[in-house]
Amino acid sequence: MSSKDHHEVEVKRKRSLKKESSPTRGAGDVKRSKSSTNDVKLFYAEEEEVEHRDPKKDLSLFKSTTDDVRKCFKDIRDSKDKPDKSTNDHIETKKRETALHFVLLKKLNRLSHIRCKKSRDATNEAKQRIDQYHLQLQNLLYETMHLEKEITKCLEFNMLSYDEWSKDEEIELVSVEEFYEEAPSDISKPETTKEDQHQLRLARLDWELEQRKMLAQKLKESETSKDQLDKEIKTQQEYLENLQPKLTSILQSTKPVQEYLGMPFDQIREQHQIAGHLPHPLYVLYMQTDAYRQACDKKLEVKIEGDIEAAKSMKSTPELFADKRRRKTIDSGKVERKKKVLKKHPLSVVLKIKTKDGTCLQLNFYYLVTLEIVTVVMQLKSGSESPSSCISWGDLLSPDLLLNEIYPGDNGNSSPNAANQYELRRLGLGEFNQYIKETGKPYLWAQWLSGLQFLNNNKSSKVADSSVSSENMQQTIKRLRRRIKSRLSLLKQLASLERGIIPLAPEAMSLFPTKIVAKLASWKRSTYEDFCVLPYTEELISNGLAKESDIFFTATMDRGSAKMTAQIVMTPDYPAVAPLFLVSLQWQTERSALNDINIQEMEEEVNVHYKEMIIHKSHDQILANQLQRLLMCFDVYLETETQNAEEGPKEISKEKVYARFARGPNRTKPYKFCAEVGIFSHR
Amino acid sequence: MDRDLAARRQLHTTIFDHCYSPCGKYIAAANNYGQIAVFSLSAALAPEASETTWKPIFIFEASEDGAIFTLASTDTLLISGGNGPIKAWKWADILSKVNHLTKMVAMAKNRTQGGPFSQPEINSIVLNTEEDKSEVFAACGDNNIYVWDLESGQQKITLSGHDNYVHSLAVKNGNTCASASEDGTVKIWDTRSPSDAVHSIEPYKNELCARPKFGKWLGCVAMDTTDDWLVCGGGPSLSLWHLRSLTATTMFDTPGACQQCVMFHDDSIISAGSKGYINHWSVNGEQRMEVPCTPSSVFSLSYNSASNNCKVLSATGNSSKLDIFTNFGYKAFSFIFTQV
Repeated sequence: MSSKDHHEVEVKRKRSLKKESSPTRGAGDVKRSKSSTNDVKLFYAEEEEVEHRDPKKDLSLFKSTTDDVRKCFKDIRDSKDKPDKSTNDHIETKKRETALHFVLLKKLNRLSHIRCKKSRDATNEAKQRIDQYHLQLQNLLYETMHLEKEITKCLEFNMLSYDEWSKDEEIELVSVEEFYEEAPSDISKPETTKEDQHQLRLARLDWELEQRKMLAQKLKESETSKDQLDKEIKTQQEYLENLQPKLTSILQSTKPVQEYLGMPFDQIREQHQIAGHLPHPLYVLYMQTDAYRQACDKKLEVKIEGDIEAAKSMKSTPELFADKRRRKTIDSGKVERKKKVLKKHPLSVVLKIKTKDGTCLQLNFYYLVTLEIVTVVMQLKSGSESPSSCISWGDLLSPDLLLNEIYPGDNGNSSPNAANQYELRRLGLGEFNQYIKETGKPYLWAQWLSGLQFLNNNKSSKVADSSVSSENMQQTIKRLRRRIKSRLSLLKQLASLERGIIPLAPEAMSLFPTKIVAKLASWKRSTYEDFCVLPYTEELISNGLAKESDIFFTATMDRGSAKMTAQIVMTPDYPAVAPLFLVSLQWQTERSALNDINIQEMEEEVNVHYKEMIIHKSHDQILANQLQRLLMCFDVYLETETQNAEEGPKEISKEKVYARFARGPNRTKPYKFCAEVGIFSHR
Repeated sequence: MDRDLAARRQLHTTIFDHCYSPCGKYIAAANNYGQIAVFSLSAALAPEASETTWKPIFIFEASEDGAIFTLASTDTLLISGGNGPIKAWKWADILSKVNHLTKMVAMAKNRTQGGPFSQPEINSIVLNTEEDKSEVFAACGDNNIYVWDLESGQQKITLSGHDNYVHSLAVKNGNTCASASEDGTVKIWDTRSPSDAVHSIEPYKNELCARPKFGKWLGCVAMDTTDDWLVCGGGPSLSLWHLRSLTATTMFDTPGACQQCVMFHDDSIISAGSKGYINHWSVNGEQRMEVPCTPSSVFSLSYNSASNNCKVLSATGNSSKLDIFTNFGYKAFSFIFTQV
């Protein structure tokens, strides 16, 4: 409501009061006194009236009434502003009207108050009811919670009590059916127990007890019988032990007979007994070589050498030994550490390979306990037919060169067990090849013969496998024999070459003309370093045809003022692989394959076509034959080269018959000798 | 051992000759063991080419008698000569990797003059396809030059007159043939009157180019197709001769090296020999370039003009490598004649 309206209402009230106060006071008083007795009744009547009336209608009535009041006031004012005769009457009537309206308004006001009160009471009542319900709900909730708690408590109690109070349930009992079948009726008492579970249980427990008692008794009986048997065995064993010395004494007495008959049973037995103390790889080696010896190669000799006692003690306390070693390595010095790591097993296997001419190759196989590899130390005892001393002698038969590359690439300089590298590095000992002098060389074939197989990718089987050994045995022994044989024959050839004679076999004579003017002037050992320095060797090295492990020689040949130097590369596998020749020629100018294609062809003659010089499939003579061929080619080269030059005195005379001097675009020389007709022609 | 032998054989490989396929995308090379290898030039020149393309795509045993000295190629055939008979294969067969001999022309053995045990070798084969002919000229070890008809296999003409074996041939205008021989002469022949040589040039007697210390033999000859120029070399220095006047006009000096192959290319002359260089000359004797190559003795030079994409110069000699020059100034890469 705006302030102006409010103001108006105030004015109305004042006026209405004024109006009431003067003329109607008396009447009002009377009315009040009259109705004072009926006040209460009236009050309640009005209250009841409220029930029947529609509040909305009351509202519209109130609005219309106030409008009427307003209209009356307006009329009054209008008439006051324009006074005329009837003004006063009019005002009066209007006043009365207004007063009546006020009565009505008052009534309405009361009614509204009653209504307000009534609704408030109703609200209060409803609220109280809700509160009551809420309280009731709370009580119920609390009750359920309490009950739940009680339930869990009960459940927990049940579980706890099971462990503490029902121990008998753990006892495994025979099933009920079995119980009735087996138990005597005085225990089972079927008449009572059939119904009562508790009685049944008790009865079953009784039966269990009874049975257990019976079993315990049985056990006692068995133990006594066992003791008896033990005693018996002891007495018998004592008897057997008494027998042993008797037997040995009998054996001892048979020894002279054995010796007399040449049957070394005893010796073999002794060796076999020692073999039992060998480390497993060496045992495999011994066993397999011995088997091979008996089956295929009587000229082999296998023995076991070394300190048996040390081996025995080592075998009995291997764990302790290993432990001690490990602990010591930490604080002991390098020398001691090295000693420990490179420790050989006290026993070794000795293999002797004998050849027809009495040369004997002795191989000592050692087992390195920590590194788990087998190493070889070699000795060669030359036979009666061996060549007299020459410069290359000791060198070529040294273990380094003799056993080098028995199998391709196997030079025995690094450990085949890749794990060793890490072990040595861990102990700060560096590479294995520093210690080869002390340990011997761990050739791959030695590992194979011992049944050890280390693969390149470090997948190793450290358990010695005898099948590996037997697979490689025959081939390795053959290769060793062939190596000795070929090396000895090579040495003979070398000894002869050092004296300037090419040792041609009689059957090889037909390959060459009877007269060769050029001569072998010198024959020397050379080295890889010297070889590498030469300008014309580069391609050979880059092609992998000359390696550091090869053996190098230098031969010089001459005829007149011409001098030819041949560099010879011999693989350790000679004569399986023919030696390779590189030639340079000094005659007026320096010539080699680099600047003279005819020299290159001369090399081709010996390097590529060497198969023509193999007689009866024997490779042994190949070096001598190649050298002789080279000498022949040298002659051909000089004689045909002289023909080329036009005039002047000829230093080299033509000694041979040639079909043609040159042929083909490369003007190749007639290096090929036709033995049947004794002339030289082209390839 | 066999692997070792293969390595040795490779080390001693000499590729005596090579030639291009008619399409210009392949090279055939023949070596001293009688093998022919085929390489794919187009694959090796491709931008994504790797070293694997340097290996032969096909190798076959072409001769049981040893070295092959010369190769020639027609539109359909690859022809080889050396020790033993002349043989021909179809390019189509070779490229589908089939060793199927198409033709073989045996040399008549009774013509040999070189000696009882020496089969006459064929040192050079030149094809003459002008005037609708298809003739094979072969320079032989028995001092003669033979001409066969390729279609019929009939021997047509024999040109004899040299005192030693014939190294090299050049044919021009269908009738003129020049031959360089070990006897030191270049003879000019007219195939219409084959009984005698038309001219004979003796460089070893010429002051300009004679080099007595290397001998008188001539290893190579080439003729200019348009003008009357001839170039030859060997023991004597490489020299340019005017055919009409038969005078030596220019000498190409290669100290210490004997030229074994020569060719005209555009306005220049390319030659190579017993040193590992390829020489590019202008006609007036000035050396334009000296390009190092793998073999120390070069036997064959060839320029591929058949394929636009593969215009290269190639050289072979006493090495298992076949050098390819995409630019004349330096070696681009080498095919490798591998031994298996």
